[in-house]
Amino acid sequence: MQRWTSHALAVPPRSSWQRADLEFEGVEHDGASFVMHVFLNNPDADEATPRTPEQRYAGYLTVFAHGDCWGDVGHCDIPEPVSAFDRRPPHPLIPFNATLEITEPLGDLPDGTGEVTVTALAFNKNGDEADVLRFKQLTLLTYA
Amino acid sequence: MTITARPTANAAPARLNVRKNIDSLSAQELSDFRQAIKQALGFNDKRGFDYFAGWHGVPFGWCQHHDPLFLPWHRAYLYWLELALQSEVPGVTLPWWDWSTAASIPDAYSAAQADGAENVLAKAPIKVFNTAQKPGWPTETSRAPGEVPQVPGPPYQKEWAYAMQADNYTDFNQRLWNVHDTLHVWVGGTMGQVDWSAYDPIFFAHHANVDRAWRIWQTAHPGANPPADILDQSLQTDPAIKVSQTLDVNQLGYEYAGTQSTVPGSA
Repeated sequence: MQRWTSHALAVPPRSSWQRADLEFEGVEHDGASFVMHVFLNNPDADEATPRTPEQRYAGYLTVFAHGDCWGDVGHCDIPEPVSAFDRRPPHPLIPFNATLEITEPLGDLPDGTGEVTVTALAFNKNGDEADVLRFKQLTLLTYA
Repeated sequence: MTITARPTANAAPARLNVRKNIDSLSAQELSDFRQAIKQALGFNDKRGFDYFAGWHGVPFGWCQHHDPLFLPWHRAYLYWLELALQSEVPGVTLPWWDWSTAASIPDAYSAAQADGAENVLAKAPIKVFNTAQKPGWPTETSRAPGEVPQVPGPPYQKEWAYAMQADNYTDFNQRLWNVHDTLHVWVGGTMGQVDWSAYDPIFFAHHANVDRAWRIWQTAHPGANPPADILDQSLQTDPAIKVSQTLDVNQLGYEYAGTQSTVPGSA
């Protein structure tokens, strides 16, 4: 299991938003497929932690990934466009953004604390679980 | 829903093919579908199953995931494969696996034997199109349901309902790709890796259900199309097809139905 916990994210007052999303930006998907289970304000969550509202469980995201590189050397390196006229489709391994709606679990937190931490527990089949979840940054978005 | 459509303006109505739940196929329909897959597996040219499987990953890598093209690309993919199968056995259609209600892999895809032979829907050889086998490449498909125990298994009723609640294409596409990803990784084995997954025939039953979900959502949200800036985009298939051409399944000649019953008329 890989555990990743965020720095505190700012949360506006509950009365100011109707929906909340966590956006994992720049998720890499060039290795083994994996699942991550997400908890709010529960940095000690582990595999045995019940995925319940009481534990501030926020949901899960599964990433269907490409697996090991099967091509020749350099096949899975993401190239830069060779010119302004390069209209080839994007490389399939370009990182993507994964969104988890957390309206209910975020709304269930005590109002007025002003911040929240996010803990993601990531699992794959290989056991090489120190490097399962790789992404650029996490954003909490709320919508009025 | 309708069972006919006009392929072009002023053309005579043409009968649509009906894609059905795998569990509702008659013995003859299932046998015909297996026969089409079996014949396609026998070709090492552009009629072959391995050619189409190769579009998704090894060796072509044309598939689209985790972006707005996810649904249109896979709709086009199934459309072209279904035509190829119909060239082998006229009238066959791709069945769907309703993992929003079913808790396990359908019997039609898991039974080791069928029609007195190995069940081609349960396990298939992997022969990469026009490419020499490399060390480490799989030579046949495999499955390992639950190989990552922390991945929730079907039925995905809640996830399906959540996707259906989306009120715009972007949200729907993303919610559906999430549950789609989960099913792939739950099945595991060949299906758990993007680049090999389409070599397993169950891939297409899974994606027929994804496509069916889109069709159902489209019916409930007329005009809720993908973003305007991708409608003219060509999808990388053989031949290419534009996103806008994938929006109406009736114009692609098929429909989804839970049941179908036809009797002769009076003429």
